[in-house]
Amino acid sequence: MLEARDITVRFGGLTAVDGVDISVPERGVFILAGPNGAGKTTLFNVLTRICPVARGSVKLGDVDLLAHRPHEIVRHGVARSFQHAELFPSLTVLENVLVGMHSRVRVGLVGGAVLPPAVRRREDEARAHAQSLLQRLDLWRLRHACPADLPYGLQKLLDVVRALVSEPRVLLMDEPFAGLTERESPRLVELIQQEGKRRAILMIEHHLELVMDIAERVTVMNFGRKIAEGAPAAVRADPEVIRCYLGKSAAQEAVAAC
Amino acid sequence: MLELILQIALAGLAQGALYALVALGLVVISNTSNVLNFAQGAMGMAVTYVAWALLTYAGAPFWLAVGAACIAAFAIGALAQIVLLARLGGASDMTQIVLTLGLAMLIEGLVGLGFGYNPRPMALPMSMGPLLVGPVVLRPQDIVNLSFLVVLSLALAVLFTRTSIGLTMRSITQNAFAARLMGVPVERVLSLAWGFGVLLGGAAAVLAAPTTSVTPDMMNTILIYGFAGAIMGGFGSLVGACVGGLLLGVINNFVVAFVSPQLSMTFIFALLLVVLYVRPDGLFGRKSVRKV
Amino acid sequence: MRRAPAFLRVIAIVFVAVAVILPFALRAFAGQREVYWLYVVSQFFTLAMVAVALDLLMGRTGQISLGHNGFFAVGAYTAAILSSRYGVDLLAAMALAGLASAIASLVLGFPAARLRGHYLGIVTFGFGVAIDQVALKWDALTGGDQGLHLKKATLAGIPVGSPFALYFITLAVLVVAVFLVRNLTHTRIGRSFAAVRDSEVAAAAMGVPIARTKVVAFVCSAFLTGVAGSLYAFLAGFIAPEDFGTTQAMLFLAMVVIGGSASIPGAIGGALVVDTVNQAASTVSGLSLAILGGVIVAVTLFFPLGIKGLIARLTNEDDGAPEGSRSGAKPVAAPAPERPIARALEKVGTD
Repeated sequence: MLEARDITVRFGGLTAVDGVDISVPERGVFILAGPNGAGKTTLFNVLTRICPVARGSVKLGDVDLLAHRPHEIVRHGVARSFQHAELFPSLTVLENVLVGMHSRVRVGLVGGAVLPPAVRRREDEARAHAQSLLQRLDLWRLRHACPADLPYGLQKLLDVVRALVSEPRVLLMDEPFAGLTERESPRLVELIQQEGKRRAILMIEHHLELVMDIAERVTVMNFGRKIAEGAPAAVRADPEVIRCYLGKSAAQEAVAAC
Repeated sequence: MLELILQIALAGLAQGALYALVALGLVVISNTSNVLNFAQGAMGMAVTYVAWALLTYAGAPFWLAVGAACIAAFAIGALAQIVLLARLGGASDMTQIVLTLGLAMLIEGLVGLGFGYNPRPMALPMSMGPLLVGPVVLRPQDIVNLSFLVVLSLALAVLFTRTSIGLTMRSITQNAFAARLMGVPVERVLSLAWGFGVLLGGAAAVLAAPTTSVTPDMMNTILIYGFAGAIMGGFGSLVGACVGGLLLGVINNFVVAFVSPQLSMTFIFALLLVVLYVRPDGLFGRKSVRKV
Repeated sequence: MRRAPAFLRVIAIVFVAVAVILPFALRAFAGQREVYWLYVVSQFFTLAMVAVALDLLMGRTGQISLGHNGFFAVGAYTAAILSSRYGVDLLAAMALAGLASAIASLVLGFPAARLRGHYLGIVTFGFGVAIDQVALKWDALTGGDQGLHLKKATLAGIPVGSPFALYFITLAVLVVAVFLVRNLTHTRIGRSFAAVRDSEVAAAAMGVPIARTKVVAFVCSAFLTGVAGSLYAFLAGFIAPEDFGTTQAMLFLAMVVIGGSASIPGAIGGALVVDTVNQAASTVSGLSLAILGGVIVAVTLFFPLGIKGLIARLTNEDDGAPEGSRSGAKPVAAPAPERPIARALEKVGTD
């Protein structure tokens, strides 16, 4: 459903992403892995139109995403969470999540200022939707807190909720488990599992052991290129993959062990 | 007609020299410490009062007074950086702008309290007469302005390219964090940069004094032109600041001569809007990118 | 909708109560000075409105404007021209003044949306100066340095030009403005303002159009400022370009800085402080500028959260958290907060 073909990104003389194809079906959990600097976040930036491409196409169903501006992407159903959460410090937890619904709530300037009953109703509906999602992650009781007061792990969870609340067709998650404690990770795993049945989740992640069991496919990038793609177990045993993560000798050992 | 145009252009260049000086000072400060010194005009104005006081009460020779003003400017700049700006660390753009604006208000208010708002005259020593260059006349003021610009720009150029201090300043411009890691005394260099920056502003103010008279708000307009010149030059290169300031001086003079003296600021503002709309990073500026 | 803390609600009620009672008290006790004081307090209401409007733009949306005196002037002159030439009534004059300022802000807003903080400050500053110059030069329209006299204000034919009537009208407009702004900040558009300020990247990812949002913030702020300007004109009865110079721009800035960012009570409090200082020091040239400049410097360095921070302390929302993190919004004048430190929250518990 989301089809990215031949994505190439150059920064000056450096080719950060080199002819990468990736496609994501309607539903399921898919992992994008690879060492640091492999170009994974850059790829995400392309998909969300933060970053220009030298070459390539991105289609979501029939819609050509590259023809749209960054703020139009979420309207078509692509939402993302960030490596460093990128929360809004001057808004409360609840308000952060409500911004996530910006594209789904029809409240304008005058309506918001005058606040007639119809507008109030729409705001309340948005609030209710945000509430249900926050409750699933046990964050509702923190709704009036400021993000800066939350532990880092909860900030990352908040970022995920913020992305999910717009009911995207494709959810891009950038290292969602980084910084989570052992108590917070299971909550996120469960959420991803549940959401993976309703929408497509493409996740950049290093902590593969946490998500191997719930993902149906892993794509590995290195130096801007796709070097492997397939079921988690197969990819994990792929010598090329092992080599890029652990070095040549480890790969040879792995092959010898088979 | 040609003589008239040349005359206007030349006078514009001379006036633009002052804008260029202010712009240079702003860019020196902004490049090293990433702060927009909105107090540049007020600081320059303050040292002009120093010069005026020396002239009037101590009977000092003109050039001595100017020199003292420049030294005072350097001191004020360095002091401002050490005492105030250093405390801000990595604060937001708005915070820094607000701080320097508050400083400008404070300085102008204090000077107003001390000396009142009555204009004090300050004249160039009369030993020079006008110079005739072909069909155009160069007033002594013009010659002084242009000479100062040339000398100070050359001095800056030498400073930045040939001395170790200058090199250090440029390294900080590139990457303050790395510079610090490599043992560069960043704070000390920043105060030097501020000193030089305000010195340039002070020179501009003292040179402007014979025309505007010495008042607490004498530099308000010139400051804006200085900013505009720096912006046109892209707020990056010193050459850009120079060129921007000179260019603005010429344009302004033409507007004054052929359109209306009272609408000069409006015109410049409109010009600035157009330039920035077309090139948000200024004429010579380079695009800045942020990593996510 | 989150209700304001009890402390603030009480303050608001007290404020309005005092404001309503004041004119009667003045009539009873102030004798000759009644008109003067009515005038002064009415002017304060217009300043408070500007403070709230400017805070919406600077504190909430993070867009610096050093040229709000320009919008104030546009509003004042629109009202003055309409009143002196066509005898337009108060409500229409106010609306048109707001509209004129809003349109003027579009001229500024579009390029402004693309500019970073530094350039934006300069451009807005230049705007204020330019408007001042135009007011002076375009004397056919504005009366030049002779200024303009307004006709007495009327509302649907009824004369309301007395200081007493204008006082209540100005108060009412202020209350309405606060009501509108408060609603706005608690709904979608207001949230998008804060989002744009805090993280453009994240905001865009959520569908907030960055440039358009900045322009909208400018327009809202300018509209309110223009309306305030029109009231100022009717109150004064006479305006001239020198009323709207760069000093006024500095005063407006001071109001917002002292008030702390993204805070309506803070803005009004900031306006109170600045107006009081300005009125008290007005006879000595330079004094008010020096004091306010000094206060700005002090606030920026030592009390970055301004009056808003003070309120937060008093309402005891503070549970001992460090100053930078507690009150949420990045202050107008404050060092950037460090990367949040993970803290267990005793109060709410994490796991």
